[in-house]
Amino acid sequence: MKRRNFLKNAGTAALVTTLPAPLVRAATPDDFHIAAILSFSGAYGLIGNDMRKGAEQAVAERGGTVLGKPIRFSWEDDETKPQPAVQKASRLLGEGAQMIFGAVSSASTLALQSLSTQRKVPHLVTISADDAITKRDGAPYSFRTSNTLGMEINMSMEFVKSRGLKKIYAVTADYQATRSGFERFEELAKEAGVEIVGNDFAPLGNRDYSVIIDKMIRSDADGIAVMATGNDGITFVKQAGQVDLGKDKVIFGPVLQDDIFAAATGPAALGVNSGVRYHYSVDNPTNNAFVAAYREQHGEMPSSFAGEAYDGLRWWLDVVEQSDSWDVETWVEAFANSVHETSVEGRKEMRACDHQAAQVGLWGEVVKGEAPLPELTMKINEIFPADRLFDAC
Amino acid sequence: MSTLIIGLSLSFLLFLLSAGLTLIFGMLGVINFAHGALYMLGAYVSYQIVQITGSFWLGLLFAPLIVAALGALIEIVALKRVYSRDHIFQLLLTFGLILVIDDATKLIWGFDYKQVPTPEMLTAPVALFGSQIPSYRLFVIAFGALVSLGLFLLLDRSKWGMIIRAASSDADMARTLGIDVNQVRTGVFALGSFLAALGGAITAPLVPIELGMGFSVIIDCFVVVIIGGLGNIRGAIFASLLLGMTRAVGFTYATEWVELLTFALLIGTLMFRPEGLFSYKGRSA
Repeated sequence: MKRRNFLKNAGTAALVTTLPAPLVRAATPDDFHIAAILSFSGAYGLIGNDMRKGAEQAVAERGGTVLGKPIRFSWEDDETKPQPAVQKASRLLGEGAQMIFGAVSSASTLALQSLSTQRKVPHLVTISADDAITKRDGAPYSFRTSNTLGMEINMSMEFVKSRGLKKIYAVTADYQATRSGFERFEELAKEAGVEIVGNDFAPLGNRDYSVIIDKMIRSDADGIAVMATGNDGITFVKQAGQVDLGKDKVIFGPVLQDDIFAAATGPAALGVNSGVRYHYSVDNPTNNAFVAAYREQHGEMPSSFAGEAYDGLRWWLDVVEQSDSWDVETWVEAFANSVHETSVEGRKEMRACDHQAAQVGLWGEVVKGEAPLPELTMKINEIFPADRLFDAC
Repeated sequence: MSTLIIGLSLSFLLFLLSAGLTLIFGMLGVINFAHGALYMLGAYVSYQIVQITGSFWLGLLFAPLIVAALGALIEIVALKRVYSRDHIFQLLLTFGLILVIDDATKLIWGFDYKQVPTPEMLTAPVALFGSQIPSYRLFVIAFGALVSLGLFLLLDRSKWGMIIRAASSDADMARTLGIDVNQVRTGVFALGSFLAALGGAITAPLVPIELGMGFSVIIDCFVVVIIGGLGNIRGAIFASLLLGMTRAVGFTYATEWVELLTFALLIGTLMFRPEGLFSYKGRSA
């Protein structure tokens, strides 16, 4: 390649990857291109795959089109790390993608959020729960349609009050989001007159909770708050089951259990209480239709990840369709002020102040299931209204 | 006192996880990055056996044997070709094995979490020194102690151990004495794989079985091996006890400092005895 050609190509490439995306997009593109940056490998591989199933169902349901153009996904694996997430999303935006969908981990999502702000591209979040993702007057192009950790912490305290628990021993995974969550829980406990008799910050990815569990048994706590999820939460509940911790103390957590985690935990999960992001048992026409179609397609009940991905993308695409425009600012303005009356979880309302969907909170307990339900399943015991979980905008 | 018992259970779990890694390094001079993947495979195979037979004990027995056979195959097909080459080839090869084993596991068992229940006879906790100790933990202590004793006797007191040590100290001399060094190496790698899978099978009732479990455990294994002295079984036992007890005491009094204490031990060892607390010198495959 001649030096002049090389410089010309390099210059063009640099321009394309740094300019705001709307400037590199065609006025009416051939398709609606979604840069889907999820985790398809490693510990979060399961989540990415389930989100993909849910998202594809949302697209299939509308005949695979929006604004009269076919919807095209580019699925990329961020390996649960922010750097690959940004690299892969940047490449897809350079190719003209109209929006970013993802990621799974909050760290990757926050990294994608910066990119979305810089490139002025809509960014849809349907699983990451870090409160920092939807700050007041924060990222102008990012929207979250799923739960925040903050609302799940609020649900946990509502549960503590409704069960009449007076003394709580907590274990908190030692990273920023859960530490903030515990601080919020502590504040709420103080307001409610509930005593925190102990808290241990366990390293993230901890494989042995035996010493902490021993301290919990010896304490006079009547409730055990577990500010951890995924592997950490499963490991804790499994090991707590080996000393019957749940026999005399109520074990609960903001995102401690769902059907997938309960299956991985085994019988020790029975009786454990947790916030649930989505559940197939929620009885409304939209959810019933979604669950039936999902079961027919995949032969299983949709997980929280699939349900949230389906719901968020369906809502976003409906708004884009109704806008009858290919202008990004029109979509963002419309979505920021939209209401999803037919969500799978009930009504959801996008808050213009922080781009967080105000919604009900599901709270459930692990119980034995009977076919066609899984062996262990969440029974939704309480649905908290949005105004008890979200501060005023 | 309960801290001591829990510390012992942490220690023997650490030993079971790291014994195979230290054995393979000590006897073959190979830093086996795939150790964590073999541990994960042991947990998955154990899960499968429990699914088919309903018996945890059959899983504990046969999963390590199946993974040991795979380990022997890996040694014969791949590892044998790189002994004479630079260490970087061994590192690259064992790193490649991680990817192969991970993808094969994904294809066979999928992404879902799996779980192995605690065996029925070990579900009830035992009251000891004012604490409720899970009987499964007591089993882990006894089992770990037996395995460490068995390994010590095998490597330091048996004819087999003498042959293995001879082949690792001076392979050419061992050959002239009629020892089939190739077979010894295959056997050692199979034994290391057996131990990795044994760690996976015995940990299975304590943690969720998932694709990332090998990565999370390999760091702890390397800490034990580095503190104990690369390739030294006695050193691995001592380092496991040191780390297990440090963690038990740390979790009791200062949970947030546990990781810092663990890595302080590692850094201290590297600063003052970089060869480890119990190092053999002059070993090479």
